[in-house]
Order: sequence, then structure tokens, then C-alpha cells
Amino acid sequence: MIPNILDKTALITLVGSPNSGKTTLFNYLSGSNVKTSNYPGATVEYSVSRLLGKYNINANLLDSPGIVSLNPNSPDEKVTVSSLFNHPRFGVPDLIVVTADSSQLTRHLFLVKQLIACRFNVVLALTMQDILLKKGFKVSIEKLSEELNCDVVSIDGRNGNGVDKLIRVINKNLKEILLRDKVIPLPYEKESDRQELIKTYTEIELISDNVIEPAPQNGRKLNLKKANEQLHILNPDPEIKKNCYEVDQRTLKIDKILLHKIWGLVVFFLIMAVTFTSIFWLAQPIMDLVSNIFGFLADEALVILGNNWFGDFISSGLITGIGSVMVFVPQIMILFLILGLLEDTGYLARGAMLIDRPLSKIGLNGKSFVPMISGFACAIPAMMAARTIPNKRERLLTIFIIPLLSCSARLPIFALLLAFLFPGPKAWIGGLVMAGIYILSIFNSVVIAAIINKFAKNILKETDNSSFILELPAYRAPKIRVVTNNMISSARAYLRKAGPVILVLSIAIWFLTSFPNYKPPVNMHNHSQQENLQLENSERLANSYAADMGKFIEPVMRPIGMDWRVGVSLIAAFTAREVFVSSLALIFKVTDQSETLQASMVKAMNDATIGNTGQKLFTPSTIIGLIAFFLFAMQCLSTVAVSRKETGSWRIPVLQLIFFSSLAYIITFITVNGLRALGMA
Amino acid sequence: MKTASQLEYGERVIIDSIDEKHPSSRRIIEIGFTPGQEIQLVNKSIFNDPLAFSVRGTVIAIRKNEAECIKVS
Repeated sequence: MIPNILDKTALITLVGSPNSGKTTLFNYLSGSNVKTSNYPGATVEYSVSRLLGKYNINANLLDSPGIVSLNPNSPDEKVTVSSLFNHPRFGVPDLIVVTADSSQLTRHLFLVKQLIACRFNVVLALTMQDILLKKGFKVSIEKLSEELNCDVVSIDGRNGNGVDKLIRVINKNLKEILLRDKVIPLPYEKESDRQELIKTYTEIELISDNVIEPAPQNGRKLNLKKANEQLHILNPDPEIKKNCYEVDQRTLKIDKILLHKIWGLVVFFLIMAVTFTSIFWLAQPIMDLVSNIFGFLADEALVILGNNWFGDFISSGLITGIGSVMVFVPQIMILFLILGLLEDTGYLARGAMLIDRPLSKIGLNGKSFVPMISGFACAIPAMMAARTIPNKRERLLTIFIIPLLSCSARLPIFALLLAFLFPGPKAWIGGLVMAGIYILSIFNSVVIAAIINKFAKNILKETDNSSFILELPAYRAPKIRVVTNNMISSARAYLRKAGPVILVLSIAIWFLTSFPNYKPPVNMHNHSQQENLQLENSERLANSYAADMGKFIEPVMRPIGMDWRVGVSLIAAFTAREVFVSSLALIFKVTDQSETLQASMVKAMNDATIGNTGQKLFTPSTIIGLIAFFLFAMQCLSTVAVSRKETGSWRIPVLQLIFFSSLAYIITFITVNGLRALGMA
Repeated sequence: MKTASQLEYGERVIIDSIDEKHPSSRRIIEIGFTPGQEIQLVNKSIFNDPLAFSVRGTVIAIRKNEAECIKVS
């Protein structure tokens, strides 16, 4: 029997109430890139780490979204609970490490008691003793361990003290556990009796009374008042002992301002404004840098490999494709840096509380707040963040409207279109209009949420009890390591999820716009080499597969004032919006490398005419029409796939696709023709 | 009987019972609102909803209609 034990990889699952220091502990144990969640329920995905390398324990460590009890209340909690009883990949955990905050011991022991009652092997990691110590109390580790009949280790999240001790305890427990039979947990009664729950709390209060002891503070700052208090503490006065469950007074003072009816709103809008402006103005120079680097690499590749189909493939297909993926990374990182800071300080929960009432009027929930903000970066993480919304109808509605929020993929499109509308010295107007577009996208999502909500019974088919129960954690300074880890892992998640799609599509578009006639016959006489190259490029495109496809849909494009070339770009952008700009660049064969890509694209767009009529293709009205189109259209295959996965059926994504696409087309039609009727070019 | 939704700003009370018929009652109990516990209304959001109560060492925000299932004495 014993040899098998050494080969077997044990499974340790980390469980804890929201804000119990669980993910901080996971960071210490794994050193990997996962975020701690100060906003309850922010860990929406599993993180797994091997303990072998760092601590020489042959075990997988699984992090999970925070739970309050074994009765799940929302999809993310359901994930955790069902994974405890039977994880699809790893099975039942051999050992559960559960975190509990000493300063709210009774609340967090609730989950611990439930886990022990289900006969799981449990080790308790007790966090934030320092906070309790400041109030003049401490938890007796020995007594608590005796009461619960499991090992208890005190962990200091600020410096990692106690983690080594925890590892030794885990090791000791695993050795004993692996000799025994596999754990078969008792099922937890799904709708357990309310009186049973209250009884559990009564038992916990007895434990708490036994294990919380007065602790003299470090003598240095002992003033008379505190000395008096401690004299009282020495007497077993139950009233005094209640002090250990006093709420952080500093947090209450800060909340007086941040949740104030006027100042709270001012701060809220200020924070949102700073968040969005940083997404544009902070990210822009870095995005330009990234795009210049890839532009340079593409040019160099063409020089080295020569102007043949292979060189063209590497340069225009591959390098430009990778560039179009990488260019969004700075923006996504900045958004998640700010979100991480807001989350880790504790503000996000306040934001959710402030906005709960207005959002509930249109059928959403305060907990829709974080998914909606994330939607400005990318709909994919945003839809996954909606798992924290307990009510299914509100969750589906949140997922439904997320594609309307202007994600970062639309930024380069709007930037290009606005650069066309407001060239050169008028560029600052473009900046203002850009801000307006974002506000408009919020407005659209709110209006459409309200409309959908009206017909929710038919569209969402869910009407259950709406609820908003959220812990407002104590404010604290953000942990830089946690926030940066969060930022890096978001960028990684984006690259993993969206990267391959965009790359493959860019290559596909390169192929469709370059073949079947890669070397078209061109009249080479009387032209400079540059002119010949341009002529060859446009001939190649005019006879390409893409042109065939574009001409097929031209009848649809005409009513909205556009031709087959825009049609091809829109088809290409259907898979991912950001492809629109790169495919326009390919279609108009922007080869002028002396200026920035955007400047030469604007130039090419200005020169473009419809067929041989000499009529301009891009006019202010068609450009505004395109902006309107991208505000509404659900041009992203990855979003469709994630919507399918998160809602559990094809109904919602198909509805979104039909609804948003037709809405986009109709609004573009009205915009273009309306503006023309009003006399705009 | 008075419910937690009727508390004045800063008012401290002891929970008497939880209305088990309310759909949120299970979660309200699980999160720490149990008979005998002292709670305090520490904050109100705009439009006076949701309400924030201090309970068992932390602050929990719940909607006004959910606070109605917490009977206080």
C-alpha cells in the first residue's frame, strides 16, 4: 500500500468566505498569478498550482471562488460547492484548507463547521489576528483546535508569517490522510432548515466565547483609557468581550463620505471618469508604440524576405496579425490595474451598493456593476464576472447587454473613423466625441436593458427572487503584488482567449484578399516601380476571393451608403471587431510607410470612390453611420461563444446576434440616410 | 414588530427573529443575522436603499425589502 502513496498526487482545495484572506494565502502558497478578492466573489475561475516545486509536497492546490456556506447562492458559489463534493477533473479533495478572519470569527466559522460536519479533512488557516490584537484580543489557537478537532494555524497575510508552519501541518495531515480510505463526504442538505442554521451559529458563539481571550497590546502606546479597558477585560464581563466584534471605525468614517448621498455620487463619478480617461490617455502612447514596433517588424520582414507571396504572408499576414492582438494588451492591463486597485481597497463593493437601486429599476443588480465596467475592456471576462449575480434573470440580462458597452476592440475603429472626421488640428474634437461615444454606449445599454426587462418574461424566461446581499469589507491599502498579478493574469487570459482567434482571422483575411490571383497581369509600361506595385496590389484585391464575397453582399451594403470593400471588412470584423481596421488597411492596400498607419489610412480612405462613378465612398455621413454600426453590432465570435457557455444554451447568444445585428443595420441606415437628407455629404 | 428596515441611522438593536418565509431568509441567516445578535444601521445608499448593517465584526449591505425579514426588538 505504501509505495502507491508516494506516487499519488494529493488534492488540496483552498476554501473560504469572501474577504477571509483566501487568495492572499493562495498567492503565498503558489506564488502564481491569481488575484485576491476584496470584492466578494471576484475569483470566477479556478486556479491550480502544484506544491511540489516550492514545498516538495506532491499535491495540487486548487483555489476556488469564495463561499459563505455550502448552500450555494449564485453560479460562482455553485462551482465551488460542487467541486468540493466532486471536482470533474480532480475528484474529492484529500484535504481542505479553509481560511477564516479572526476579527469576524463567528461568521467565518460557519463554513468551517459545515465542512467538518460533512466529514471533510480540514485544516483551518486563521487570518488577520493582527486586527483582533489591535482591539485587545486574540484567538487561542490551541483551544480552537481542540474545539473544532482539526489543526489550526495562524497566518499573517501582510508578511506570510505562519505559511511555513501551515505547510508542515498540511504535510503531516496528508501523510495520515493518504493512509486512510478516500474521503466520501456526507451530502449537505440542500435547503437546510433555518432553525438548524441558527443552531449552528449558537454552537459557534459558544466556541468563540471560549477561544477569544484578552491580549495585552504592546505596551508602548498604552494610554489610560486602554489600560482601563484592559482592567475590564480581565473581568469576565460579556459586554466587554463583545468589543472584539466591533467594526473597523476608520472604515465607517470613510464610508460616511464615500456612501454619502451627494459626496458619494461625486466620488463615484469622479472615479469612473478617471478610470475611463486613463484607459484612453494612458494607454494611447503605449498602444502607438506597440503598433509602431509591429509596423517596423513588418517592413523589415518584407525587406529581408523580398516582395513575394511568402514575404507578404509573413509581413502582412503574420506580423500584422500578431500586432493587432498585442495592441490591445496595454489597454486591458490598465483597466484591470485600476479595477484591481478599486477591488483590493474595498471600493468596488461600495460602487455596487451605490448603483444597486438605479440598476434594479431596469432589471439589473448592483452586482452587475463590475461585469459592466469590465465590459469596457472586453466582453469575455465581463460575462464571466456576471457569475457573481445570484438572480438568474438579472444575470442573463447583464450578459445580454454587455456587448453594447464599448469594448477596447472598438477603440481603434472609432479612433480611425474620428481621425477621418476630425483631421489634423481638429483632433481634440475627436477626443471629446470619443468620450461621447462611450457615454452613448452606457446610455444604449441602459435603455436596451430597460426595454428587454419590460419583455423579460418572453426573452429571458426567468423570474425569480431578486436579492442584493454584499459584504462591505474594511478599507485597506492595496497590495501591489496582488494588483499587478491580477493585471498580468488578465492580459494573459485575453491573449489566450482572444489572441488565437484574431491571429487566425488576420491570416485568413490576408489569404482571401491575396488569392487566387497573387500575380495579376499589370501593364508595366510608363510607370514607376512604386506605381506598378500599387497597381498590382489593387488588381490582386479586385480579383480576390474577398472581392467575390464582398460583391455578393453589396446589395445589402448599398442602402447604408457603403460598397463591397467595407462589406468585406465588416464580414471579417464579424469574427472580431478589431479586424475591421487591419482588413480595411489590407483592402485599400495601404503601403505608404512614410507616415503612421492611421494617417496613411485616412489618406487612402479620402481617395476611395464608389466603383467608377467618382463618388466618394467615405463621407461624414457614412463614417458616422459606421460609428453607429459598431456601437450596436455584436461583431465578435468569442463573445458569442462565451455567451453560449455562460448562459448554458444557444438561445441568448442567438437572440443577441439577431437583435444587435439588425438593430445596428437599421440604426446605420437611419443615420446615413437621415444625415444625407439633412444635407450632409 | 419593528424590522431592521425601519431603523434610524446609527441605531443599535438586538435581532428578535428572522421571517423564514422571506426568500432571502436563508442567506440572511447564513451571513450572520441571527436572533440575539446586535446590529447597527451604519449606512444608507442613495434613495435609502440598500442599507448597510454592522453585524458580527463586519458590514453587510442588504436591500430594504430584505431587511424587512429581520425583526428587531
